[in-house]
Amino acid sequence: MILTGPEIIASTGNGKIVISPFLPDQVNPNSYNVRLGNTLVTYDTDVIDAYEPNPTRVTTVSSDGLVLQPGELYLGHTMEEVGSDYFVPLLFGRSSVGRLGLFVEITAPIGDIGFHGQWTLMLSPVRPLRVYPGMKIGQIMFFESCGDIELYSGKYQRAAGPQESRYWCDKLVKT
Amino acid sequence: MRQAGEDVILTGPEIRRAVASGDIAIEPFDPRRVSPNAYDWRLGDTIRVCDTDLDAARPSEFAERPIPRDGMELVPGNLYLGVTHERTHSDLYAQFINGDRTVGTLGVWVHVSAPLGHTGHAIRWTLEICTARRVRVYPRMTFGKIVFLKTMGALASYQDMGQKYMASSGIDTSRLYEEMQ
Repeated sequence: MILTGPEIIASTGNGKIVISPFLPDQVNPNSYNVRLGNTLVTYDTDVIDAYEPNPTRVTTVSSDGLVLQPGELYLGHTMEEVGSDYFVPLLFGRSSVGRLGLFVEITAPIGDIGFHGQWTLMLSPVRPLRVYPGMKIGQIMFFESCGDIELYSGKYQRAAGPQESRYWCDKLVKT
Repeated sequence: MRQAGEDVILTGPEIRRAVASGDIAIEPFDPRRVSPNAYDWRLGDTIRVCDTDLDAARPSEFAERPIPRDGMELVPGNLYLGVTHERTHSDLYAQFINGDRTVGTLGVWVHVSAPLGHTGHAIRWTLEICTARRVRVYPRMTFGKIVFLKTMGALASYQDMGQKYMASSGIDTSRLYEEMQ
């Protein structure tokens, strides 16, 4: 089952969901709106290598915003730390942002129970698009789970700012 | 006793029952479009083509065009805003919209952002369409599926929260700029 807005508010009150900072006016009927942080990371290489650490470039976005270009991948982050030890979180873009042709996540909307931190956003626009820090860019929904819970303890725990792919930490030893 | 995680997505027969009882509204409703756990919705008759630069802080208006009966070619790199032929509404269930595998295997994304329709949403859905290859689409072709989800907790209706798109009946461009004055 998907949590309603009032249930999200109740769950931040009893600690089953942690959202920091939490502002009640960002609650929707079935989700919570998250804002774009001011740091973007891009890969500073022509070919991204899944098996190697990739060089990255960090950009700080001013209040004038930044134009995102099609064909580029920008890793952003939520201003909020969001997590739950009870519910499964799902992050998506907001409809207002989708109507501007911006992908906010790629292939991985489902978070882990027990992850707490800022969420990395995978931004890629269909058309050139100017975005601004602090804009409400995405929304996180929460689903009830079924079964025993083993909390997340992975490599992105307590993330602050955009986190590039660390697949290379998991790669098999080269033979 | 109900197990957690049980009865989450409505089955086809349950969708038909909910339409009959008024818990779900689908207009127009065709019982033959109910699939095992979804309603198979159609692409509407009009589309907006966006081939310019965009700014989240400014309105973006694109001319709305009819989709000809003999189809319209969609081109990679453009953003298209379409609309579902059907209006759907439920005060009881949340809704998820997706394309179907037939459209996905044509390389068409029907929705860029959240697939979520909040409880209380009463809309023809604005579609955020882009495409991997040049592809011809037709008005009122079957385009995707809407599933209905049970909710947990007290209900809050979209209608009561003064939200932006609460009674969409056509293609809505983004009104994000209203938040950024």
